[in-house]
Amino acid sequence: MGSQKRIAKELAELTESPPEGITVRLADESNLYNWHVYMEGPENSPYHKGTFLVNLNLPTNYPFKPPTVSFGTKIYHPNVTNDEKGSMCLGMLRPDEWKPSSKIVAVLQFARQLLAEPMPDDAVEGRIAEQYRTDRKRYEEVAREWTRKHATGKKA
Amino acid sequence: MAALSPEELERFQKLSNEFEPDIQGPLVSVKQSSNAIAADYANADPTLAAKTSALAVTHSTSRIMKGDGNCGWRAVAFGYFENLLSLQDALLIQREASRIKSLCTLLDRVGQQEHLYEIFVDATDQVFSELLEAVNQGIRDESFLVESFNNEYNSSAIITHFRLLTSAWMKLNPHRYQAFLSMPLDQYCATQIETVKTEIDEVGLQALVDGVIEGSGFAVEILYLDRSVGEAVTPHLLTPSRPSPAVIRLLYRPGHYDLLYRAEPVVNMTPVVNYQYGMTSDYTPWDQTALGFDMNSQLMTIPNLMLDPSYTLNVTPMVPTCSSPYRVPSPQEVYQPPMQTQPIAPVSPPVTPRISAPPPPPITTLPPRSSEGPQIRLNPLVMKSNLSRSLPVTTPFKK
Repeated sequence: MGSQKRIAKELAELTESPPEGITVRLADESNLYNWHVYMEGPENSPYHKGTFLVNLNLPTNYPFKPPTVSFGTKIYHPNVTNDEKGSMCLGMLRPDEWKPSSKIVAVLQFARQLLAEPMPDDAVEGRIAEQYRTDRKRYEEVAREWTRKHATGKKA
Repeated sequence: MAALSPEELERFQKLSNEFEPDIQGPLVSVKQSSNAIAADYANADPTLAAKTSALAVTHSTSRIMKGDGNCGWRAVAFGYFENLLSLQDALLIQREASRIKSLCTLLDRVGQQEHLYEIFVDATDQVFSELLEAVNQGIRDESFLVESFNNEYNSSAIITHFRLLTSAWMKLNPHRYQAFLSMPLDQYCATQIETVKTEIDEVGLQALVDGVIEGSGFAVEILYLDRSVGEAVTPHLLTPSRPSPAVIRLLYRPGHYDLLYRAEPVVNMTPVVNYQYGMTSDYTPWDQTALGFDMNSQLMTIPNLMLDPSYTLNVTPMVPTCSSPYRVPSPQEVYQPPMQTQPIAPVSPPVTPRISAPPPPPITTLPPRSSEGPQIRLNPLVMKSNLSRSLPVTTPFKK
């Protein structure tokens, strides 16, 4: 079906010319719909030097439904749920805002940008958002600490 | 009653956020009697009741679109392909398939990438192939189209294709639409047109018709079912007024579009209709290119010129609905009326892509005339007294 054709092409493009700080691999070679994305923490962010595993799941009716993005590596961030799911909420991935002409690489770049610039107004972790706003220094300390603890051991 | 706990409130909020109305029925229904629509309104507002029962007489059948946020898009797309099937013209289908394909240049020009949009184009292409095969086998039954459109993937892909084309068309012709939008055009396209399930609004519909459908020469007409004064639904033509080989008729109820079909017994007197079509099609270059209604803003300002319901009603009987055996174009066959009042070929400037008027068959014997009404109908524009004074009769004016 068309969705596989499109996913295969997007994957090929991402593998041939990966965007900065992002490496993509299929979680299971026989399944196009689950991707492992290794995302390097952007410079000038407390996540720098960490590598985060991001799970990208594509619905079978992709691209008419948006992909979902979740962190497999624990991360201290206002926009990522601090639980075993590690869900990340991106506006562009809401079903009513999603455009079938958007591409996965744009989603991943947007997610990585969010590491550099959290959006406390759209936070899923209110406490971290509050800290980000009022005590940036402490937020960065904790985020850096978590990065060191969880995101530097390579792989997850 | 005990107050809800925060957990319960949260749960209800979540349920409410995730609520999707459970809409019954197929994406595209089979043709059904319009009496069903009338029955829906029988106990409603008297105006609506009167309008729907009148509608069931003039437009005896209808096709219901699922109200899932795509009904308007789906109605136009389905109506377009369905008309291609009923015209049974293989050449036309091939021409339309390549015209739609060529619109990919619009997508490229606004920066859409082929590897992202090709699967949508493929789905549309597939429908054209199915149509062609059906016509080559003489199949007139549209159930395969209904089936195709009820496949969620196909339906979404075709609609997305049409959405992207519409968006590209709008971005390339912003002056035609920006004034009607309450937000910047790019934002409108991103949030209303290119999304998956945002219902089409009037501006989007006009752009879809202008950018995607109009090149086929098909007419698109909306019949508005609202509470305005009157006993019949209000028709509105979205395409330039001109003889069209087919009409896509939409029924609009606030927030929803369906397809409508006329009761068409009268039109089936084949030879006469074709003869009339031959006469009237000769007017096509005359009113189309010389007057350029769609470009002439003065003419466009004449109130109700395009909206006049009597006008559309007059035009439609000229439309052949069953001319299939006669539609193989061949220059020798072109029927020239004896009284040609103006030259055709040299005058026409490059016109917007439209299908050339199909030549009628050579008339050997005229069939006996029926007693009902005049057999040769003039272009209604000619009969409009206010216009005829301002229009040249012998020499078409050029720009």
